[in-house]
Amino acid sequence: MALTNEDLLAIYRYMLEGRMFEAAIAKFKGNYHPAEGEEAVIVGTFYNLRNEDVVVPHFRGSIIVSYMRGAPLRKLFAGIMGKDTNYNHGRWRGDIWGPPELNIIGMFSGALGASISLAIGAAMAAKLKKTDNVAVVTFGDGTSNQGNFHEAINMAAVLKLPTVFVCQNNQYAVSTPARKGLGCRSVADRAVGYGIPGVEVDGNDVGAVHEAVQEAVKRAREGKGPTLIEALTYRVLGHWIADPATYRSAKEVEEWKKKDPIDHFQKKLIKAGVLTAEKIEEIRKTMEEKISVSLKQAEEDPWPGEEWLGADDVFAPNKLGGVAQ
Amino acid sequence: MKQLTYQEALVEGIAEEMRIDQDVFLMGQDIGAWGGALMSHKGLWEEFGTAGRMIDTPISESAMVGSCVGAAMMGMRPVVQIMFGEFLSLAMQPLACDAAGMWYYSAGKTRVPMVLRMMYGVGPHRGHEQDYHSWLVNVPGLKVVMPSTPYDAKGLMKSAIRDDNPVAFFEHMNLYHGIRGEIPDEEYVIPLGIADVKRKGNDVSVVATAMMVHHALEAAEDLSKEGIEVEVVDLRTVSPMDKETVLASVKKTGRLVVVHEAWKFGGSGAEVAAMVAEEAFTDLKAPIVRVAPPHIPIPFSTPLNKMFLPDKKKVMEAVRKVLVNL
Repeated sequence: MALTNEDLLAIYRYMLEGRMFEAAIAKFKGNYHPAEGEEAVIVGTFYNLRNEDVVVPHFRGSIIVSYMRGAPLRKLFAGIMGKDTNYNHGRWRGDIWGPPELNIIGMFSGALGASISLAIGAAMAAKLKKTDNVAVVTFGDGTSNQGNFHEAINMAAVLKLPTVFVCQNNQYAVSTPARKGLGCRSVADRAVGYGIPGVEVDGNDVGAVHEAVQEAVKRAREGKGPTLIEALTYRVLGHWIADPATYRSAKEVEEWKKKDPIDHFQKKLIKAGVLTAEKIEEIRKTMEEKISVSLKQAEEDPWPGEEWLGADDVFAPNKLGGVAQ
Repeated sequence: MKQLTYQEALVEGIAEEMRIDQDVFLMGQDIGAWGGALMSHKGLWEEFGTAGRMIDTPISESAMVGSCVGAAMMGMRPVVQIMFGEFLSLAMQPLACDAAGMWYYSAGKTRVPMVLRMMYGVGPHRGHEQDYHSWLVNVPGLKVVMPSTPYDAKGLMKSAIRDDNPVAFFEHMNLYHGIRGEIPDEEYVIPLGIADVKRKGNDVSVVATAMMVHHALEAAEDLSKEGIEVEVVDLRTVSPMDKETVLASVKKTGRLVVVHEAWKFGGSGAEVAAMVAEEAFTDLKAPIVRVAPPHIPIPFSTPLNKMFLPDKKKVMEAVRKVLVNL
């Protein structure tokens, strides 16, 4: 399905707004894991999915996905701070977790890899319920070395589960460069081992990412099974905001900054007559205003009270009633 | 009324729940036409296999449990078997570190109604016998079930499947085909978190689980001939623990022995003992005694293996020990 001008503008907006949102978070949270430079993978992957599709985002960019699925900025800021007004009332970190009511499976622990298994489970549920909904999961190059990656993709392949696996390869697992962490040339090459299609795509080209993911989504909806996509991009900032990233050269970073996905897409849209300098200014101004209002609200929002400590709220009460307490 | 083995009772409970609720499905290695390890799924394939409700998987415990967590989050009710409790560590991340906290962390939005079945226990099989249940008892949000009889196995399995939380279900291999028990023809369930007094007595309380309940009952029979009446409390669900039943028994007898097959040091029995010491210290007439294996890996050779495990004799010694007044 070709993208309309509205789609192109929406994609651009999500990328730019996502970056601005994260920059605002970075100002007060030094241990935040920023996705700057990786927005094309995040937005290109998660744009244009159904509300019923389950999305399982990588921790880096997770909050942008929540925003794309309609979560208000104030609640998301509150989640970063641990305020009562967040979706989970401060019980769990909001930087790597998204609200389940938006069909997001966020991370429920800081350990990588389990998300990929949860994603194939969501795909299994969609299949068992005889829908044509899919699960789309992103993860880093580092996570692609974790056992769950191999187990889950193999299982999805043999069971033909409607899953799209997207490796957001930003070339660094904390300080370990992908060339030292991966024995293969590309994460997509690993698909051969599972007997599924492996697709390499320029992760700084949002159109290319979107097209590849949509093709894989179509395949999954048709019952043809999973696809593994590697979107090659670059982590422009440190592993976390305050990471001095002394393990790589300034020259390398500068080279990649020149390939900035937002600049790249912006130029393309201006050239195509879809975007103007005025429109960009308008998007920026509106978002700045939204951020400033939401941030102020979240700052003023209350902390969770003792009622949310929930010493008696560790088990779900049974919907089926009386018998099994 | 009919006589079923522990394994047959488990299978019957699962089959009944699958007939009631279309969202229940099974996953495991070799659970299909082969019937599952130790016939743990015998007969189920014929009824549910062709309907696509039984998923045979590759050897991928982490992805098996993780995918069942994901499916449960989306409203299904998976019952996943990783064959043996010895493989539990391979599934700990999705089970204990992800699934267990989901209800709490999501502030009541995410339910994970799933059952993890695993066989364990020293018995004729002589492999995969490790009792790792104590690992799980420390995790908030997980239920841990260890039935001792066919009747309990069926009733607890049905409740576990209906439960909206992750439930770890330990099936003892020595009991699997070894004992038969009466199963009523009409449907029944046994609530999780409720202990059962398997034998009444006024002199000493013995709190036990699974295979150890049988050793405790044998010990109680022998001691009864000497005029010592032992009350045997079968926890059935180790977490959440039925404190009330344990405390009521201890308040009556004033003496407590705790028996389990898991290691003594850091074992779940320490929690029973500590709970009683905290909440019923003044009711105790003697120090609490625990009967559980020494802190060594499980030795293989039969004589060493017997020395390692609690048995009737060790339970009797412990009962005599707590009968000495302070």
